[in-house]
Amino acid sequence: MRLFVWRWFAVSSVIVAALAGRAETRPQYGGVLHVATRAAPMSLDPADGAQPDSFARRNLTMLMFDTLVTTDDSGRIQPSLATSWQTLPGSQRWQFRLRRQVKFNDGAALTAESVAASLRTANPSWNVTTDEDSVIIDWDNSNPDLLAELSLSRNAIAKRTADNKPSGTGPFHIVDWQPGKKLALAAEENCWRGRPFLDAIEIEMGRSFRDQMTALELGKADFVEVAPEQTHRVTQAGRRLATSSPVELLALVFARDVASPDEKLLREALTWSVDRASIRNVLLQGAGQSAASILPNWMSGYGFVFPTDADLPRARQARAQVRSIPTWTLGYDGSDPLAHFFAERIALNAKDAGLLLQPTPAPKADLRLLRIPLQSPDPWVALADVANLVGSPLGKKKGGVEDLYASEVALLATQRVIPLFHLPVSYASTSSLKNWSLRPDGSWSLADAWMANARQ
Amino acid sequence: MTFRRKLLAVFALTVVLSVGAVAWLVLALTRNAFENAENQRTGALVSQFQREFSRRGDDVTRQVEVIAVSDPVSRMATALNGTSPNSADYFELAKSMADSHQLDFLEFLDEHGTIISSAQWPAKFGYPEPAFDSVSALKGQSAFLKREELQDSAALGLFAVQATGVGEQPVYVIGGRRLDKNFLSALDLPADMRVVLYQNRSGHFSPDSLLDPSAAGTGPTRPAEKFAPLIEAVRQSNQETTGTVAWSSDAADEEVFHAIPLRGAGKDRSSQDGPLLAILLVGNSRRSYIELKRRIRASALLGGGGGMVLAILLSSWAAARVTRPVEQLARAAQDVTAGHWDTRVEVHGSDEVGQLAESFNRMTAELAAQRERLVQTERVAAWRELARRLAHELKNPLFPLQITVENLMRARAQSAEQFDEVFRESSTTLLAEISNLKAIIGRFSEFSKMPPPQLQAVQLNEILCGVAKLFQAQFQAPGRAPITCKLELAENLKTIAADPDLLHRALSNLVLNAMDAMPNGGTLTLSTHRDAGKVIVDVADTGTGLTREECERIFTPYYTSKQYGTGLGLAIVQSVVSDHGGRISVQSEPGRGTTFVIELTDNLEALQKVGAAQHAVDNA
Repeated sequence: MRLFVWRWFAVSSVIVAALAGRAETRPQYGGVLHVATRAAPMSLDPADGAQPDSFARRNLTMLMFDTLVTTDDSGRIQPSLATSWQTLPGSQRWQFRLRRQVKFNDGAALTAESVAASLRTANPSWNVTTDEDSVIIDWDNSNPDLLAELSLSRNAIAKRTADNKPSGTGPFHIVDWQPGKKLALAAEENCWRGRPFLDAIEIEMGRSFRDQMTALELGKADFVEVAPEQTHRVTQAGRRLATSSPVELLALVFARDVASPDEKLLREALTWSVDRASIRNVLLQGAGQSAASILPNWMSGYGFVFPTDADLPRARQARAQVRSIPTWTLGYDGSDPLAHFFAERIALNAKDAGLLLQPTPAPKADLRLLRIPLQSPDPWVALADVANLVGSPLGKKKGGVEDLYASEVALLATQRVIPLFHLPVSYASTSSLKNWSLRPDGSWSLADAWMANARQ
Repeated sequence: MTFRRKLLAVFALTVVLSVGAVAWLVLALTRNAFENAENQRTGALVSQFQREFSRRGDDVTRQVEVIAVSDPVSRMATALNGTSPNSADYFELAKSMADSHQLDFLEFLDEHGTIISSAQWPAKFGYPEPAFDSVSALKGQSAFLKREELQDSAALGLFAVQATGVGEQPVYVIGGRRLDKNFLSALDLPADMRVVLYQNRSGHFSPDSLLDPSAAGTGPTRPAEKFAPLIEAVRQSNQETTGTVAWSSDAADEEVFHAIPLRGAGKDRSSQDGPLLAILLVGNSRRSYIELKRRIRASALLGGGGGMVLAILLSSWAAARVTRPVEQLARAAQDVTAGHWDTRVEVHGSDEVGQLAESFNRMTAELAAQRERLVQTERVAAWRELARRLAHELKNPLFPLQITVENLMRARAQSAEQFDEVFRESSTTLLAEISNLKAIIGRFSEFSKMPPPQLQAVQLNEILCGVAKLFQAQFQAPGRAPITCKLELAENLKTIAADPDLLHRALSNLVLNAMDAMPNGGTLTLSTHRDAGKVIVDVADTGTGLTREECERIFTPYYTSKQYGTGLGLAIVQSVVSDHGGRISVQSEPGRGTTFVIELTDNLEALQKVGAAQHAVDNA
């Protein structure tokens, strides 16, 4: 009898514990999520190209706006505002049928005209027309990458207003907007995707990685960015950490094309002088991947082909062929503490090769150390975006990996860009934030996230 | 220059020299005092710098020791001695430790000298520390000077080295503080002093290597290149050197710098053979000294000037007081020279000048008495000579008169017929002798009645020519030896004021004398010339000459060396010359002829006075 009682008590305890655990994992409505970002955009318009690109901006955009199509974790195109699409042979005309019953946050219905207007604003060169509930995009040439481009946040559909508060169809709408400082979002009750669990999201902008981590530790933030070099410490501290694939290119970008054979040799010497391994080991604390290619290996599949080791004798040999050595200014982002160390170390490596680099936080420089967020998991889109950024647009695009490789080699041959590292993006969150996920391309969705013990 | 002026000059010179000597002495003493003070201040500042250097060094050493035994460094050393050491985790440790311990430089090195973490150059991780071999040997010792290469420059600092004792592979801690303007500014400097540090980065002088805390001030522009010679001198001599730097043409802007070489750690762990890393320049402004020197000089000039004026005044007063009796004596002597034998001077006091005055008075009294006696004697002699002459002159005609009268008396007694003839002859003789007597008396009368000269403008040469022409016939007269007369007359001889008749008479007397002196013939030379504003007339013969005694007495009235003559001729000549304000002298030697020299002034002023007086008489 006594044994039975004890067994009954044990089984009951297990059942109660199991029920309690289920109650903990059950989504809860309500709560305010506090987010901190280092980016400080001055505009929420998805099509505003003047704003620096960042993963934070992209993800914030996707809280308020939707694109016609989207990509899943595998990079495949999925319907969003467009329920279906079709293209004529040759991929010169694309027709997208819009989802019905979708409204903007201000209550206006989503129409083909509003979608077309939004796309024209984002892409003035595009030929966008409408046909009842469809949007038609015509091209002079074949454009097989249009779907990937349409999935980018910059092509999110927005209804622009005069008060600098564009309206979207996303799960949250703008409540308070202090450009570059603070953004308050509230749950959209009538979202076509359903109301999000969170009542509101408050985003503090322009916060350094250190401040974000402090805020997380003090409980003033629930979701923060983590610098790559800090990820292992966050892990060691037992924090919840999510890390993407390497989706950010850290590279040296020259301000102009090679002007002479001597300069070509000097750029080659600089390329060979950079000791990526030491930098990754110390400055990045082992995070990221050393890179000599623009596209990360996970995206292209051939990134390993490009050698990343420093070759100082080769660098000196190239430098020795040049008599007059100019002093190049190496610009870096003064607000990025790690960038300063990167620049100094690169200058030190260059000095070993006999080159003269002068690090400067000034915006104008002979070459700059840039963090370039890769636009898309689609390698062609990502490569084309980098090519446009460095001032050497790609030529004709083809579909095969050989063409991709050739295009990338050609871009590197221009010596406008020297890839250094591919970095992941990482986020830390409190344990109360549930059901959020970070996708390999660095995007995250909070639409389905919810707060445990949420305050109503 | 008068005695008074000499005395004045001596007094003034004495004052000037005295003031100058005092000013020089004061300047010399001031310079010495300033140099001593400057040396003392420089020495004190150098000592202060060395104390501050030592204190900062001790502080650095202490901080490095604290860091070496701190928990983070111990953990790092432990981890690096572990099985899987990863120095990357400590990349930022040096920076944080340096900040917390207020160090400007901090590096952690592994046992091979490879930089694990660097506060001053974080990007240098993984690179070897160039000075590891020499620096690691100084672990645990006092601080030393070291130049630290930075990314785009180099800095000088006080460093100390420690090694952690955890594990077999030590971690070296090299920390330091920058030797910069703040370090120099912390020195408590006296007024007018400053400290400049030159960082010896390259083989040649570079203005950018100068650390001058006072450079940011609003003072005058001080080009750093001025330090170059002093810096080079220290480099060359390798020892402490002192030099002056002139910042402008104004001497008050000069600064004296004492340059002290600062060395890093050498091979024998001392600073004796270490590299020259910096040069400490202790500057001392010369402004206060120069300004004091200028004030002293101005005071000396002002005092000297005032002193000179005062000295001149006092010297004038003193010189006047001292020289007045002397001047009175001088004037009295001049009066005596002028013939005022009764001249007397006042006797002031009983000092040397007073005694001199008394002696002068006694001398003049004695001279007057002697002169009186001489005059009396000469008067007696003159009278005797006159009596002799008169007796001689009168006796000559009286004897014929006596003979003639006796002949008459004898003839009257012997025969009447012969008496008439004798009477007639005797009468003639008597008349002749009486006439002779009258002539003698007339000459004497004429001498006594010598008329005053009637001045008029005359040409002396013309008078001489007239005289020569007058006697020309007698020079060649038959029965006597011929005399050659030569005229050597100066051309353009100016006109003088004289009585031509008297001069003609005087010169005629001299020519007659010359003819008497040349009984055997000879040469008579009449010459004129000018000398010192005077007109000189020479009458020279080649006759028998005169003895010295004759020369002395020849102008005495009634004296003659001839068998006949009244002895009044040359006396008349002297009288004429004297009445014209002139002077006559004689130069002669027996057998070598005689020359009479007449010195006459132009005397034109007297002629104007005469003319004015005559005009006044005519107007009246």
